[in-house]
Amino acid sequence: MKAKELNKKKSGLSFNSSLLLIFVVLFVSIGLMNNNFLNPNYIINVMLKNIIEIGLVALPLTLIIITSGIDLSVGSIMILSAISGGIAAASLGSVPGIIVGLAVGVACGLMNGLVVAKLKISPLVTTLATLFLFRGIAKGITSGDSVYSYDFTTFMGNQTLFGLPISIIIYAVVAVIFCVILSKTTLGRSLFAIGFNENATRYSGIKADKVLITIYTLCGLLCAIAAFIYLGRFTSVKFDVANTLNLRIITVVVLGGTSINGGIGDMKGTILATLIIGVLNSGLTVLNIPIDVQTIINGIVLVISLIVYSILIEKEKNKRILEVAAMKKT
Amino acid sequence: MKHNSDGSGQPGSGIKKGLTTEVYLFILVIVIMLILRLFAADFYSLNNVMSTFNYFSYLLIGAVGMNLIIITGNIDVSAGAIISVVGIAVAFVGKTNVPFEVFLPVGMAVGAGLSFMNGIFITKLRIPSIVATLATTQLFAGILPLVVDGAIYDLPANFTWLAFNAKLFGIIPSSVLFMIIIAVIAIIFMKYSRFAKKLYAIGNNANAAKLAGVNVNKTVVKGFVIAGALYGVAGTLIVTAGQRVTMTMGSGLEMTLIAAVVLGGTSIAGGSGKIIGTVVGAFILSLISPAMNYMGLSSDWSDAVMGAIILVSVIVSQIAVMTEKNKLNTMKLNCNPEVK
Repeated sequence: MKAKELNKKKSGLSFNSSLLLIFVVLFVSIGLMNNNFLNPNYIINVMLKNIIEIGLVALPLTLIIITSGIDLSVGSIMILSAISGGIAAASLGSVPGIIVGLAVGVACGLMNGLVVAKLKISPLVTTLATLFLFRGIAKGITSGDSVYSYDFTTFMGNQTLFGLPISIIIYAVVAVIFCVILSKTTLGRSLFAIGFNENATRYSGIKADKVLITIYTLCGLLCAIAAFIYLGRFTSVKFDVANTLNLRIITVVVLGGTSINGGIGDMKGTILATLIIGVLNSGLTVLNIPIDVQTIINGIVLVISLIVYSILIEKEKNKRILEVAAMKKT
Repeated sequence: MKHNSDGSGQPGSGIKKGLTTEVYLFILVIVIMLILRLFAADFYSLNNVMSTFNYFSYLLIGAVGMNLIIITGNIDVSAGAIISVVGIAVAFVGKTNVPFEVFLPVGMAVGAGLSFMNGIFITKLRIPSIVATLATTQLFAGILPLVVDGAIYDLPANFTWLAFNAKLFGIIPSSVLFMIIIAVIAIIFMKYSRFAKKLYAIGNNANAAKLAGVNVNKTVVKGFVIAGALYGVAGTLIVTAGQRVTMTMGSGLEMTLIAAVVLGGTSIAGGSGKIIGTVVGAFILSLISPAMNYMGLSSDWSDAVMGAIILVSVIVSQIAVMTEKNKLNTMKLNCNPEVK
């Protein structure tokens, strides 16, 4: 077990350092091609701010994917939370808006968690159904119209504190919390255990159901927080943005080296991947490359990282086999 | 995807479960049809029936392809992007005034080619299918803006021949004919062919299939290529229904295809599921929006209803499986004197 633990850390480190390398190379080369990119104002207000919502939701999604689950409905939860909060705020004021927004996010996440944990329906199927359900409710209650920002969301999306946008500060705090949850707490450990072997985890006395419900609910909560920032930043929101958000968020987690099969993953990888996608998107804009081309470049980066990752895993496996063989001898 | 794979391991239980799901769904279809007959008789106007069937055709042809992939335990989230690329490719060809017979082969070839790429990624590089196709979605969807400026229009008159003029007895659109032919072939093929048995075997246990002498990689790639060709047919039928072809015609469609398959009782873990279930699943999904319209409900709610139907249906069949399992367990306990 100890050898395994060690190994996992090693592989995580090498993958993360290659991600860091990609980040630095991208950052420096784009910076050299266009000096405007290195302007701190641009980095903070364009590069980082544009990626905050995706980054925020990618954090809890990493936890879910580590348990070999998935949540395809994150984009739909975000939009439903933003829309219902916005409607409540429009007629009742900011505070009810906040409460409704948060409550809807948490309720959606809780629903996913209950169905996955208690009814044992595969997370892919569950969240595929709720993807339609939540987005559909958002479409139904607005009849396809836009919902507008209110005081609190405008504050979340645009307010600065000590020269930094408040959304970035929130992301930094949440990211640290999630790093701690995953690497320092029993909850984090049980996530890996569930990802490796859910049945064995149950028999070893971990309340797997409770853990799963917790993380899906947590995911809903963060979708709600991301929704506040999103609504504030764009001043209005419509149900149809949900589609593109889902896949972009999953892309970030996968790029960060979290295995979709569960049991392997690292919060730092997800954070680095968030930064890489941020640099790519805003960097390409600075270089006057049209937005359309950015999709394909994101795709290429993802493909390359997947290939590298599959090679790394293969190597790691071979090494582990050799090590186990050596341990058996001694 | 690891969850839930224990139950579908035995072929017996898989078939039994599939049967009950189909029966539930079939009853649901009949109930919906009766309600429509009672409260919205206009629904059965020839025009509306044909347009509903038209949408059902696209959906089912694509969903049959998705079904092949899901039976092997894989999934394809790039189907929508592939259909978009097929659409643009067919439009490009259509612009050169070629006869319409060329459209379908071109669409099928493009679909098969892109899907072949997915298959290679998944089998040779051993990247999990959901991630691999997530990546290729961005590649496929990303290529389009480089070659097209938004949309292709001013297409020649013969471009829409397939959708508007090619009608059997002047009523039944060609898309419905294609759908019937494909569905019938698929049902027979999946029941009797050796290739289909290999697909099921791989979905149940890829390692065991390998040991039993199945060339797993080759079979999976073949499955992807066939699915791709079917997306090609669906894509061609979708784009030839209009004079203007945009690059996002298929985006989001992949989730509807997966939903049709899942609703039809095919296990997402692979190894079980029947085409006939997918036929009923796709039919229900294509019924929702027009049915709501004719019932006087806003079709804005159709996505929500669709999600609710999928969720309720998987929950019902899961509860059936769970009670079955509990019964078996108590039976085992009763048979085993030591436990008593």
